[in-house]
Amino acid sequence: MQKTKFIGQVTKIKQTEPQTVIEWPRTLTHIHTYGLLSPFFQGLKEGRLRATFCPNKKCPENLLWIPPRAHCPDCHTEMKWKTLRNPVIGKVYAFTEVVYAGTGIELSTPYWQIDVQIPGLTTVPKSYLLYGKPYIGMKVKAQFRTDKPTNTVLDYYWVPVE
Amino acid sequence: MITFKKGNLRVPKWNRRVFMVAGGTTAYKKFFPEYRIEELAMMAFKQMLEDNNLKMDPLEVKGLINYCAYGSFADHFQDQLLCEAKVHDYLGLDPLYNTGIKAGGATGGTTILNAAMAVASGYADVALAAGWERMDEVDTRTGNFYIATAACKDFETRMGRVYSSYYAPMANRFAWAFNVSETTRAKIAVKNRFYACSSPYAQQPGKHTVEEVLAGPMSAFPLRFLECCAMSVGSACVLLCDEKTAYQLTDHPCEIFICGGTHTLRVADRRPMDIPLLPNESEGMYQELLKEGSRWPGFESFLAARFAAWLTYRMAGIYDPLEELDLVELHDAFTISDLQTYGDIGLRPYGQEQDYIESGDAYYGGKLPSNLSGGLLGTMHAVGATGIFQAVECLWQLQQKYDQFHGDQKIWKKWGKRKPRDWQSLQIPQKSKQALWVSHAGVGSHVTVGILKKSW
Repeated sequence: MQKTKFIGQVTKIKQTEPQTVIEWPRTLTHIHTYGLLSPFFQGLKEGRLRATFCPNKKCPENLLWIPPRAHCPDCHTEMKWKTLRNPVIGKVYAFTEVVYAGTGIELSTPYWQIDVQIPGLTTVPKSYLLYGKPYIGMKVKAQFRTDKPTNTVLDYYWVPVE
Repeated sequence: MITFKKGNLRVPKWNRRVFMVAGGTTAYKKFFPEYRIEELAMMAFKQMLEDNNLKMDPLEVKGLINYCAYGSFADHFQDQLLCEAKVHDYLGLDPLYNTGIKAGGATGGTTILNAAMAVASGYADVALAAGWERMDEVDTRTGNFYIATAACKDFETRMGRVYSSYYAPMANRFAWAFNVSETTRAKIAVKNRFYACSSPYAQQPGKHTVEEVLAGPMSAFPLRFLECCAMSVGSACVLLCDEKTAYQLTDHPCEIFICGGTHTLRVADRRPMDIPLLPNESEGMYQELLKEGSRWPGFESFLAARFAAWLTYRMAGIYDPLEELDLVELHDAFTISDLQTYGDIGLRPYGQEQDYIESGDAYYGGKLPSNLSGGLLGTMHAVGATGIFQAVECLWQLQQKYDQFHGDQKIWKKWGKRKPRDWQSLQIPQKSKQALWVSHAGVGSHVTVGILKKSW
């Protein structure tokens, strides 16, 4: 007669007072799609910052979007892509120095996270400054991690415009 | 540019009046191995039914409930999907229907909104709104990463993996735009953590100084650790009723008004727009507000909070919040978010937010005290419970029960604490009529503004 066996790992007890507390290990990988925004992430690896815009002439929103969107939130029209001409120059709108970061952080701390106003955009995308110290209104230039890209939004960043 | 059409701006109106009659809460702890989450929910539920001086036997009151709304923020924190079903069963409320509510940091407020809608619509005469969070199954940095997945995972989560790094840029921008000293933010941390010293439920009470806050370790510049809220385990609940039942249960019910507003998950996507004006604000008063290159709401203000206040003040008939309210409980997840909200809900005009603190208005004994509960900085942020806990504190204050629920030695003992010798009552005056609480998510993605109005 075949008996059912325990094939798992014995659960570790972390403490017994005031009550029993066990460890419950979890490791997992999510399979995540960039969907219709895939061209944005592909563009970063090629050294290009790509935005979307609504082609509907009657739509009240005629500015560019980064983060891009595949559909216009105002009129629901499918957006079109536009590559920003290099060098892309923006101005620091807000900033922080990230000192204490959460688990899995991929940038060496501390680093400067910056929100950048880019001419022609309706949005103010969040990114980071590779070196230097930011201030509101500081001019910065986009650069790209074309060599050994991370395949994430970290593949573009900003440097001060001397 | 966000524009509205007329239907978008309709002010919500209940089909019948809704009242809050009782509340309950647990204490809050960073690590709470003594109890499972449903056990904590039961403890809050029992306090609500048994200790609120209701005029009916607790089990008879329970027998009136016919709908439940349950708030919990993050399934991955406690790794239990459909926790609503576990809690509901544990409270012995099957087969009454329950709805799980998820609205980030505004989960608690949204849960109460949902329960209020059930009563207002006639689905229920008596509805339970309960919330909880168990945030101690993972270490603090992993907890911070989990919370940061409430930023856009494609474009913003990787930029910090800690929520303080999404509020810190707002703090820098706000300081630059309105010439605000760091001292003002630090005073908020000192104030709320001090008020937490009077609460048997508080997780991180403390008598700190401004200098101590500013000299403390940095989370994300300029936000120091003492400017950031607790990560908590605990539960809270309230009971909502129609008018007839409310007066059957208590001589001291509070009528409730609550509305919500939303805005983008990414701060990046906040497009500029005109400021929706509150009842006591006038056209043109903000013409000089913004420096060149600035925009509203920008990173300085919260459209969601402004819109929720815009609706709730009209729903509740509030004209001047500073004059008409007697207590506010705000979502001080960070000192900066507290400060920003003063303008959004009209405690001061935009640009003059800091004056609410600097004038002394915000303090106990001041014109409109805020966060006497100790808030999120001093007492708790068990996310799904937070907006409910704040409402409970508002209710007890209006019912003149602050001392009953904070000064009783037995409550301190129940949670393994000793009542401090220098314990101070923070009861607001008897003449107080109205209290407001704000429940706030993300970087302002969901906000509810609720008002309780003394109805006796």
